[in-house]
Amino acid sequence: MGMERLILGLSILLVACFVSALSHAREVKVNGFIAQGVIQADGSNFVEDDGDISFKLTEVGLNSSYRFNSIFRVAGQAVYLDGGNRYQQGARIDYLFLESQLYDSDQWSVKAQLGRNKNYHWLYSATRDVPHTRPSIILPQSLYFDVFRDVALGVDGLALVTQGNNSLGEWDINFSLGTSPISSEQRTNLLGASAKGKLKHDSDKQFSVYWRPNLSGFQYGLSVIDADFRYVQGENDAFVNGKETSQRFMFNVMYQGSKHEVALEVMRERTIAEDVLFAGYYSDTFAEGGYLQWRYFLPQNLTWMARLDLYDRDRDDRNGSLISTLSQGVVPSYFGYMDQGTLGLTWEFSENIQIQAEIHRVKGAARLAPIFTPNIALNRNKYWNIWAVQLMYWF
Amino acid sequence: MQIVVNTSVPTDDMTKVQARRVFSMRQVSWANDSTITVYVMEEHHPTHKVFSTQVLGLFPYQLDRIWNKLVYSGLGEEPIKVKNEQEMLDRISNTPGAIGYLLNNIQIDNFNVKIIRVGEG
Repeated sequence: MGMERLILGLSILLVACFVSALSHAREVKVNGFIAQGVIQADGSNFVEDDGDISFKLTEVGLNSSYRFNSIFRVAGQAVYLDGGNRYQQGARIDYLFLESQLYDSDQWSVKAQLGRNKNYHWLYSATRDVPHTRPSIILPQSLYFDVFRDVALGVDGLALVTQGNNSLGEWDINFSLGTSPISSEQRTNLLGASAKGKLKHDSDKQFSVYWRPNLSGFQYGLSVIDADFRYVQGENDAFVNGKETSQRFMFNVMYQGSKHEVALEVMRERTIAEDVLFAGYYSDTFAEGGYLQWRYFLPQNLTWMARLDLYDRDRDDRNGSLISTLSQGVVPSYFGYMDQGTLGLTWEFSENIQIQAEIHRVKGAARLAPIFTPNIALNRNKYWNIWAVQLMYWF
Repeated sequence: MQIVVNTSVPTDDMTKVQARRVFSMRQVSWANDSTITVYVMEEHHPTHKVFSTQVLGLFPYQLDRIWNKLVYSGLGEEPIKVKNEQEMLDRISNTPGAIGYLLNNIQIDNFNVKIIRVGEG
């Protein structure tokens, strides 16, 4: 409760600073985006329970920032999102922080952000809700797992951002420490409708390094996460008190050329769960996943995209047979993995307006909600499809 | 293609790497702590394409990605976009600490600007 009150107090203070800054500013730049699409995840509950065509593909955002002086700056963004079952529908503060320039030279700068920060650690995490900055409408679920989206967006806490240059090239070094609020809807997405208690994010530590060799088209990045969660049993709850730890290691490489862009991002994630499902329950598994993505830039602002995304929930049970055996055949083995082939096309047909369309062929159901208690009634297909079209405008 | 700054800017030359730092908004102040104001043209403007690829060694879409990340994640601010060379010249001339770029054949006499020499490295 103490931490929640501190965060609430800090948020009110930041909003007050922001409003005050905006009212005094002679020239305040406001940016934003608005996007609406249509999507169908036929044969799964990825978007709708019945797998039907849906217009739950709405993303709207508005942001601004204000620099008080060469040291202090405040920045914030509010968003409204509707993604169906993928994440909680509604408006929220995406980020809102006070930034302090701790060090600045012609080669290196170090900034601290206090408040609600974005996740700067993964290739697309900083702007995953900003449609025109994404390579596709649906990001690769191995790493950019929508069910876990709110927790992965960033933290309420502290972020340290270092940017610099030396004889080897350009460097970005990021560290963040904090927690994320977990709503009851997200708890249900993770644990299932029979969970009535509270899922709490006790701590989240992330570190990442990005390196771009001097005047090169390549970029290399790696990041590590250590996150602790706690479940507090509610009334008439099928789950019990327990805890869960996630430790993720990620590596990525990107090549950007005049006509092509190739990105590879892979991860290994250790998940340790104690109790939660029932007293005495213990699980320690290593999941693995990653994607290889190719984008080809055509004339008239057209971009083709092809991607293969692979995910195995347990590297010692890649075909999911253990899941099926332990559940005495109730849970099909295809809940142990989720592999996805995607083809997409983006067309910026006018300044700051573009349309994006894509199709996905999916094998498996390991990234479908809820995670702890698979929904075998709604996800009866080993193979299923997604198609989506989204129109987006930004300013 | 030449990099042009307001005469208040306390430097007469910079390396290609420094130019990349300034135009990708990683360096936000000059050596005398004055604020850098960066002016650029739209992503698809021919002058911007030439400047981006030949001077900075970056494709315009790479710069656009960098600026998008700054703006939509709160990490920083994007450069100010101008429509053409004349507006670029006027804005740099009237803004202390400003930097931008112009084609070599643009006359800068009678404006409060100077040309920056760009070296390798």
